[in-house]
Amino acid sequence: MSSIYLDWAATVPPDIEVLEQVKEMSAAHFGNPSSIHRAGREAEKILNESRRILSSALGCLAEEILFTSGGTESNNMVLFSLIRRGSGKKVILSGIEHASVYQPAMSLTNFGYTVKIIKADNSGLLDPARIEVELDKQTALVAVMLVNNETGNIQPVSDIAEVLKSFYRRTGIRIPLHTDAVQGFCKIPFNPVSLGVDSASLSAHKIGGPRGVGALFVRKGSSYPFLYTGGGQEHGQRPGTENLPGIYGFALAAEKKIKNIESDLKSVTELTGALISEIEGIKGAIILPQCRRNKINTAFSPYILKVAFPPIPGEVLVRVLEEEGFLISTGSACSSKKKRRFRVLGQMGISDTLAFSAVRISLGRDTGHENLSRFAKVLKEKIPGLMKIAG
Amino acid sequence: MESIYLLKYGELSLKGANRFRFEKLLCTNIKKKLDGLDFELIRKQGRIYLRAGEKDHSQIVNALSKTFGLVAFSEALKVDKDMSKIEEAAICLAQKLLHKSREDSSPIKDNNLPCSQTSYKIEARRSDKSFPLNSYEIACRLGNVLCSHFQELKVNLNRPDWIINVEVRDAAYLYGPLTRAPGGLPLGCSGKGLLLLSGGIDSPVAGYFMGKRGLNIHAVYFHTPPFTSEKAREKVEHLADILSAYLTGIALHVVPFTEIQARIKERSKNKEITLLMRACMMRISGIIARNTGSICLITGESLGQVASQTTESLRFTGSMADMLVFRPLIGLDKEEIIRWAKKIETFETSILPFEDCCTLFTPPHPLINPNYERMVQAFNDLQADELIAGAVQDTRVIQF
Repeated sequence: MSSIYLDWAATVPPDIEVLEQVKEMSAAHFGNPSSIHRAGREAEKILNESRRILSSALGCLAEEILFTSGGTESNNMVLFSLIRRGSGKKVILSGIEHASVYQPAMSLTNFGYTVKIIKADNSGLLDPARIEVELDKQTALVAVMLVNNETGNIQPVSDIAEVLKSFYRRTGIRIPLHTDAVQGFCKIPFNPVSLGVDSASLSAHKIGGPRGVGALFVRKGSSYPFLYTGGGQEHGQRPGTENLPGIYGFALAAEKKIKNIESDLKSVTELTGALISEIEGIKGAIILPQCRRNKINTAFSPYILKVAFPPIPGEVLVRVLEEEGFLISTGSACSSKKKRRFRVLGQMGISDTLAFSAVRISLGRDTGHENLSRFAKVLKEKIPGLMKIAG
Repeated sequence: MESIYLLKYGELSLKGANRFRFEKLLCTNIKKKLDGLDFELIRKQGRIYLRAGEKDHSQIVNALSKTFGLVAFSEALKVDKDMSKIEEAAICLAQKLLHKSREDSSPIKDNNLPCSQTSYKIEARRSDKSFPLNSYEIACRLGNVLCSHFQELKVNLNRPDWIINVEVRDAAYLYGPLTRAPGGLPLGCSGKGLLLLSGGIDSPVAGYFMGKRGLNIHAVYFHTPPFTSEKAREKVEHLADILSAYLTGIALHVVPFTEIQARIKERSKNKEITLLMRACMMRISGIIARNTGSICLITGESLGQVASQTTESLRFTGSMADMLVFRPLIGLDKEEIIRWAKKIETFETSILPFEDCCTLFTPPHPLINPNYERMVQAFNDLQADELIAGAVQDTRVIQF
């Protein structure tokens, strides 16, 4: 049975056109971009062109792009570079960060850093004022994600950048701002330069590109003393022979996506709005955060929707829907023995009990009205029976 | 000089007229375990010898160390009963042991450092009394030879690093430290039993213990999709696979239990759910056991560990099987069970976070001291006979 894929925030079905182009390029231009012979020079040209395409999609300079293996590496690079930085032993981050930011930050405590976690409010948003009061001369980095991967909350990164600028004007201390933009890039309008961040992490497979490739935007003038050495690639900051097929595929996927970003956003906003209406009609459904009741809400990425049907465990609902041909996801585990903590939702003031029942539905442009209507219909059929068992 | 495995069995040697039957069964089991390898098994003078090629050494060691009925084994050097040949074999064995002990020591070695001394002891036994030297004389001769041959070896009769054993029987056998095997009785000598295998820590250990007492073991698992995941089932399959190395294969009966679970949730009091689920599982297991020629059930229950394992609870759930129930862990505490689970290498799989029961079916305050008659009534009120028969009918068997 073919399934309707509603887990686009986990990964996106590959763009077949891009796959074909990558295949052709890989066979034709296999050279190492560092080699000085013709094959190497051709590969280098493709590398440069890919960098140019990606920078144009981002609205930044080509030299501001470092290719990496993905969002996780990009985030780790930034956080762990602080070890070599020396000055300032405090990191401020939102409590709703992805594990690839949160855990490296926690690891920094082993190196003498203190980590200040800023909670989101009940609507899942970070208040820049809460960050502002924590800034001091010891602060080495502020990290706030662009779009939350669980709820779709769009964070006020630009306002936070303003707070940091104002702190700089007052004290002369410049604190870098990092954003994990993996769930935002090519989905909502995003320009790291105008947003005012110093660095931003991106991932290719979240936009239909290949796995194992991503990028780190590092604003010109900002510098992170990254830990890697051993080669001159990526300005010596992320050495290692470049994953040219991956990079090329990433650039092509970004180029395609960015062209349609506005129309995709519009159509997915409509899709999600319709789905929210349907779900709100199901008895016991709770959209998370609960403020996201109105269908069109610009504080959220329409690509991600979190919903709970307590007391049905999220994991059980995922499996029931899988049997019905719909693939959604949850971060929770149905554990009878251990009480799990749900960090991200907990930081938004959502109880563990509610988080335990939460599922994530994430869409793409190709999801289609018809598929979502079928999905909503199945939800309506299945939820009452499950509620009866769970109740 | 020939290399041969010498296999030792413990309590089998205490058997009287039946000993031959047990030895034969043990040999059959070993042959099954080594199926596909090139080997010869020899039963002679109350010993089992295994002749096999060097290339299969690690597979043989792995199989023998998981063979119930064997207490220990070692690779021995077999030579003619001639003292000069025995001396030559002793030097060869000491060389091998020294080489191994160097390999086993720290991987970061400073070759400039002198080798520290290793102590040893010779233990000689002479069952062939026609051999000209007695046991003490054999030990002295070999001790002198080894000390003069290896500077790094010294004799220590009280706390030696190794013991070099010499047995003069139909030939002379020399061997170093023994590798331990689980002991017990050969698999199959005690009939066949059905193990209730969950994904937890206890039940695999219970299966191991009863296999060690000679029970041929099959297993049953109750699967409750969508309330438990495929990962939970795969985890149980993996546990069955680990156990199958000891049990020389295991048939896993996967019972679809969701409908029964839902019926229990629908028709019973919340605090009785766990006990009624256990009761249904025992009832189904009893039926499957009878259908497949098993004469008993095995559970991983330990007295008082959880609400469903109190004396009163066990009385009720056990009675539902209508069959002999073995609970080999009944007197062990959790720490002891965990130690065994680590020893038989099921622990790491058992603690994977894929639960065998969804939280929806685990009441916060389950009954601890149930009234037997009341629970039997609650079981009858479920009117689950048809569902139970259906679950047995739809059970799928996976062979490991």
